[in-house]
Amino acid sequence: MGGASWWWRVAVVAVGIVLGAATLVGCGAGDAGQVVLAFDTGAEGAGEYRAAAVECSRASGGRYTIEQRTQQSRDTDDQRLQFARRLAAHDSGLDIMELDVILTGEFAQAGWILPYPAELARQIEQGTLRGPLETGIYQGTLYAAPLSTNTQLLWYRKDLVPHPPKTWDEMIQMAEGLAARGLPHYIEVQGARYEGLTVWFNTLLTSGGGSIVSDNGDVLVARGNAARQALGVMSRVATSRAADPSLSVSQEADGRLAMEAGRAAFEVNYPDTYTAMYPPGADGGGGTFIDQRGRPTSRDTGRRVGDVFGWAAYPSVAVAKPARVTIGGNNLGVSATSRHPTEAFEAVQCLRNRDNQLRGAVGVARPPTLVALYDDPAFQKRYPAWQAIRDSLNSASVRPETPAYKSISIVISDLLNPPAKINPDTVVGVLGDQIAKTVKSQGLVP
Amino acid sequence: MTTVWSGVRAAGSARGRRPAPISEKARVERRLAALLCAPAVLVILTVTGYPIGYAIYLSLERFDLRFPENRGFVGLANYGAVLSSGYWWQAFAVTVVVTVVSVAIEFVIGLALALAMYRTVVGRGLVRAAVLVPYGIVTVVASYGWKYAWTPGKGYLAALLPDGSAPLTDQITTIAVIILAEVWKTTPFMALLLLAGLALVPEELLKAAAMDGAGPWQRLTRVTLPMIKPAILVALLFRTMDAFRVFDSIYILTRGSNGTESVSMLGYDNLFVAFNLGIGSAISVLIFIVVAMVALVFVKLFGVAAPGVEAKESHR
Amino acid sequence: MTAGWGRKSWWAVADIVILIYALVPVLWIVSLSLKPLNSIYDGRFIPAEFTWSNYQQIFRLAPFVSALRNSIGIALIATGLSVVIGTLAAYAIARLSFPGKKLLVGVALLISMFPQISLVSPLFDIERTVGLFNTWPGLILPYITFSLPLAIYSLSAFFREIPWELEKAAQMDGATPFQAFRSVIVPLAAPGVFTTAILVFIFCWNDFLFAVSLTSTEASQTTTVAIAEFTGASDFTEPTGSISAAAVLLTIPIILFVLCFQRRIVAGLTAGAVKG
Repeated sequence: MGGASWWWRVAVVAVGIVLGAATLVGCGAGDAGQVVLAFDTGAEGAGEYRAAAVECSRASGGRYTIEQRTQQSRDTDDQRLQFARRLAAHDSGLDIMELDVILTGEFAQAGWILPYPAELARQIEQGTLRGPLETGIYQGTLYAAPLSTNTQLLWYRKDLVPHPPKTWDEMIQMAEGLAARGLPHYIEVQGARYEGLTVWFNTLLTSGGGSIVSDNGDVLVARGNAARQALGVMSRVATSRAADPSLSVSQEADGRLAMEAGRAAFEVNYPDTYTAMYPPGADGGGGTFIDQRGRPTSRDTGRRVGDVFGWAAYPSVAVAKPARVTIGGNNLGVSATSRHPTEAFEAVQCLRNRDNQLRGAVGVARPPTLVALYDDPAFQKRYPAWQAIRDSLNSASVRPETPAYKSISIVISDLLNPPAKINPDTVVGVLGDQIAKTVKSQGLVP
Repeated sequence: MTTVWSGVRAAGSARGRRPAPISEKARVERRLAALLCAPAVLVILTVTGYPIGYAIYLSLERFDLRFPENRGFVGLANYGAVLSSGYWWQAFAVTVVVTVVSVAIEFVIGLALALAMYRTVVGRGLVRAAVLVPYGIVTVVASYGWKYAWTPGKGYLAALLPDGSAPLTDQITTIAVIILAEVWKTTPFMALLLLAGLALVPEELLKAAAMDGAGPWQRLTRVTLPMIKPAILVALLFRTMDAFRVFDSIYILTRGSNGTESVSMLGYDNLFVAFNLGIGSAISVLIFIVVAMVALVFVKLFGVAAPGVEAKESHR
Repeated sequence: MTAGWGRKSWWAVADIVILIYALVPVLWIVSLSLKPLNSIYDGRFIPAEFTWSNYQQIFRLAPFVSALRNSIGIALIATGLSVVIGTLAAYAIARLSFPGKKLLVGVALLISMFPQISLVSPLFDIERTVGLFNTWPGLILPYITFSLPLAIYSLSAFFREIPWELEKAAQMDGATPFQAFRSVIVPLAAPGVFTTAILVFIFCWNDFLFAVSLTSTEASQTTTVAIAEFTGASDFTEPTGSISAAAVLLTIPIILFVLCFQRRIVAGLTAGAVKG
């Protein structure tokens, strides 16, 4: 069978070629003498991050070059998946990562990010807002340096109500009153089955004095009355006339658009709502035209939503008990697989310094984490709501720092969606059971 | 699968044609066969055999990448967690519905398509090339086509619906779209398998049936279908197995929201969203067991039908 | 057989229905890919105006270009290896008798029906440990395994139809065994091998689950994953035009194969399956 042995030789040659090619591909990237630090960020703000990377490279005096790379990710869930997979696979191409605040516990416990050296951690703690700082700390150690932060405010139509509502119940009442008069009345809030729904629940829960889970994994959600109270609010919003019909699929952008289109009277959302309403440089901002009574119209009435647009503190669940708004934003973590951790830590300090934070805050509408910047005129000009933002941050609540947070959040948003079907009396127990399982790696995520 | 048996059979007949095998020759042949099959066996063992074993092992562990130090043997606890979870049963129900409904529709349309392709007198080549397009097209691509087609304000199909309907935001209608996508893509494959079976039906038999006064419908149900039963069973088996692992189209269409997750999606999410290798592996093994059981049922069915049907070398 | 005009036109109608069924969803993506940004939301099947800008756009996107390279490279290498390995095994199955043949074909059958997700969890853990995660070989290996049954089936079906006696006849005419194989058997086997290669290529080209599970960066991400992860200029927007343009590019090789080799592909797909 000469033929068979011929085929056999062909096979051997082919295998050889493949293995050769694979080796070439695998080891393609040679190690040059210079230290190059990868700085992986999301798409939002990529330009600002790139500028910061260039400046900090220059500032290092040639000791390292920071190379900003934009992740292909549609949202923070995608971002988490991509980082986590690469880290789990020991990808040494990661140095500095822009991490959502919810990832600290998970990445730290998994050993994917390095703790900040004590001396550096002390420097970072100086001058940084307390709330954002907490998001970077896991079990008493700083694992992620606060870069930007975020908090929700109440945005409302000043022409429709005499004063902003103080509580959720007052807001529902006002909205129903507006509905009865045939005026724009929707309350825009994040009700889709995603992280935003968990944020809504967490804010209401902590505002009432409760919490989901303690840092060491004790499930607290079913203790006390706070969860029932929070779920009651959510259910009342969703089942009242105040609810946007698309509440169950509504995310931040949907709420913003409903407000700009003149359909909504109230909106709880992040400060970039303001930037979106009045885009810098553009002349067409301010949303749709509104008529004398405040209803949207396509006629040029000379009056737009933007002319009667205001903000206030996030509504509370109970009178005289200010809301504790869930904190958002991004931190900087250093990969455990980094080949240059010392330089990476040093670069982090530069990337989050005053100039670079201000650039990000102005460019991407993400509030900074340095206390001092809140007094900066450039910042205040860009964020007319800066006082409300700072106040909200000062009383903020942090989402649980447990490593299982993402699974918990998925379970919560699954159980609470659609919000109109929440039964406050029964769902609390289910939440407690499911979260307890998840914390022990025994639960499934949908 | 029939290839399996026909392969064995063909080999047997090939041997039968030769003079009585000499043991020396048989040994040489065996050695050559071993050499020729070695690469295939090696690849199968390393990339499938070992991972399957490893999956079973992982499924018995608590192994959550986020709690690396808590790794340890937990017995069947992961299976208990999966089987007692509503998510598993929901995904299971969705998968079964998608599988059963789409395979049933595919069979009916596929048979019609096969009959049309078999009998058509115009543009046979063109039609055959056309039906290969859905078979060949990348599932992700086709799924985006369906997704956009049903997106309100964007799609030509959504435009046909009454205002305000968004089919991809509701469980029932989304599953219908998933089934539509599956049916569109895989009916041609079903049709081609049935078409090949039709080629084996002797024309004389149909003529004789017609002489005896059998109408077209009777000829189909009494003559053609029984004759191509093996082809039908193979086609159904292949498609059922394939439909049960539905993943790509759901990932693109909904990413599992609105209760449209299939078991494959559930496994994927628990592996790559929760990073829970233990639970994820338990789901994987359970899916494997279900598929194996379905295959077993089919093979039993097939085994009953197979004897008596002899290989026929007929080419169109 | 005298088919009247009525009958012929009836078949023509049936053919047209089949063509519409098969082609309309594809043409829809082509239509989307040609729409300019401002008319993507017009819901029309035929674009009011045409533009190539979506195509120009995706070639400026680094992830797409590298993904295209990865897809082509990985699919070609996997196809080559799978066909070579499959040819060896298929020859043994079609021509030789040996113990364990039943087991081999049985196992191959099992794999062809195997739910891929069941392999993803162990492969992810194995590959991330041995460093194959997010590399070309990390995808090529599972592709070979899962396409092997297909290759073995269709190849052994083709091989069984080769008149192997010709080889002996050539040898009797004075050709060496190798010459006989080269000049007689190879030309006869080549069409089958080629057809199998097309089928395997389509399989690898189509894969999404392995690609999305076992890759993470531009180093090895394939086009199916790249398309699913395309992002627009800003976060949270799905770039319909770019996705459609990339989707069309992904479809072109398939259409070419189908148009040029439809008879072969049909034979390859069904050869094995019906002779039971």
